[in-house]
Amino acid sequence: MDYKIIPSICSYCGCGCGVLFQVFEGRLAGTLPMKTHPVNHGKLCIKGWNLHEHVISDKRLKSPMVKKDGQLQEASWDEAIETSAERLQAIIKDHGPDSVGVLVSAKITNEENYLAQKFARAVVGTNNVDHCARL
Amino acid sequence: MEEQIKEWPEPFSTTGDKTSTFDNLRDQVNAWLKEGKVDIFLGYKMVQGHPLPHCFTKENPDEADELIVGKARYSLEKMAANIAAERPEIKIGLLVRDCNQRALNVLYVWNQLNPDKVETININCCPSSLKEHGDCSYLEPQQSGSYKKQVGIDNNMDVEVAEEFSQEERFHRWMYEFEKCIKCYGCRNICPVCFCQECSLEHTDLIATGSVPPEVPIFHLVRAVHMAGRCIDCGLCEDACPVDIPLRLLYRKVNQVVSDMFDYKTGMRADQSPFNILGDEVTLEPKPI
Amino acid sequence: MGDCHYLYGNYMTIKRMTFLQEILKFMGLDGRLHLDWISSAEAQKFVQVVTDFTEKIKSLGPSPLSGELDLTIVEKECEASVEAESVEGG
Repeated sequence: MDYKIIPSICSYCGCGCGVLFQVFEGRLAGTLPMKTHPVNHGKLCIKGWNLHEHVISDKRLKSPMVKKDGQLQEASWDEAIETSAERLQAIIKDHGPDSVGVLVSAKITNEENYLAQKFARAVVGTNNVDHCARL
Repeated sequence: MEEQIKEWPEPFSTTGDKTSTFDNLRDQVNAWLKEGKVDIFLGYKMVQGHPLPHCFTKENPDEADELIVGKARYSLEKMAANIAAERPEIKIGLLVRDCNQRALNVLYVWNQLNPDKVETININCCPSSLKEHGDCSYLEPQQSGSYKKQVGIDNNMDVEVAEEFSQEERFHRWMYEFEKCIKCYGCRNICPVCFCQECSLEHTDLIATGSVPPEVPIFHLVRAVHMAGRCIDCGLCEDACPVDIPLRLLYRKVNQVVSDMFDYKTGMRADQSPFNILGDEVTLEPKPI
Repeated sequence: MGDCHYLYGNYMTIKRMTFLQEILKFMGLDGRLHLDWISSAEAQKFVQVVTDFTEKIKSLGPSPLSGELDLTIVEKECEASVEAESVEGG
């Protein structure tokens, strides 16, 4: 019998609510709010409450996917990065840099977010950068 | 009188200071795990500076030295019921406060847990210098903001005080509270006695989907009605509500009516069938129009 | 009472209906739920009860659940009580 309660942080928005994962025999079985966490004091929104579902979902992305012949197929990182670079270059060349937008995440570090906006502004040449924590 | 003292759980058997009290409790859990009285013990442990629920196992009984009794109040009995649903043969021990015990009684009555497979260590909630009481809103009420006091319902209000408002005012005050709802289902998810496989609150014919707040007051009243004979007034729903709807007060009224009407004190006994609450001695008459 | 085809049906019903009436009253929706015993042979009573209850619902006016929530009603009552207190105090 193996039942663990593992403290973690909600991976949805920028608030960073404390959550507890209930792990039953190696399977993520549920999410609870952490009552002593200074951010959420034992409260969660509906996304936080269902956090375990996206971890165990069949639809979860586990490797890079590249669309070939109209179908998304698993690909290596090199192939995926090369494809996106080629397509981005082609799009910027044909339609200008403002035809590209960069969406970043609240769940990566400040530095990574900085790099992403640097990439958008310096490499792509657009101000179309947005972020889910820009509430 | 002697018998009463004998039934007291050992950890708080009157003698000794704070340390020995906790050592007693830890030794008892350790012994239970070693001698196989229980396979697992649900208690609390300090993890990363947070008192968190923890499952002590017979594979590692000495970990019981880290057992703590603090303010942390989680629904250990709901975890026990979840474990029992998957592994019914397992003997589960758990720390219980008064509210946990009432919830256990309800879970026994509704066949969600087998009392023969559950061992408990009682830690009462009476404020004491020996140990901390739980973070219950009765013992540590949260202050309500001034606007909430002005147009809503103060969470610390008594049922009788809430009934003193005029009908129209009462309606508006409750609707103000309900309309804050963000439909997080936290009240249902945290509830130790909510165990239905299918929930009416997810029934699209009863509760329309796609908008927040959910249909008020139906969403909250459906839950209130379903709390009849179930709610054990632990207050976890109110603690978990992100918008501070005074759910504990609402369900306290539900309990009051259930007690008056059906003479059923929810969670007080573990042997009473919920069907008894229908009874057959009815002295009520329909109210005049 | 006790005439129910399902033996205990109306014993249960009256408790459940009273429970609902109490909860609705608690949150300020009193009088919009009514229970009466009418046998299939009591056509006259049925007509009477439905007519009376319809009259009552009409007199209560439209459901407060329709339309926007207007909190000024509560605020006004609060101001009135605060004023009353200050008058008493002064």
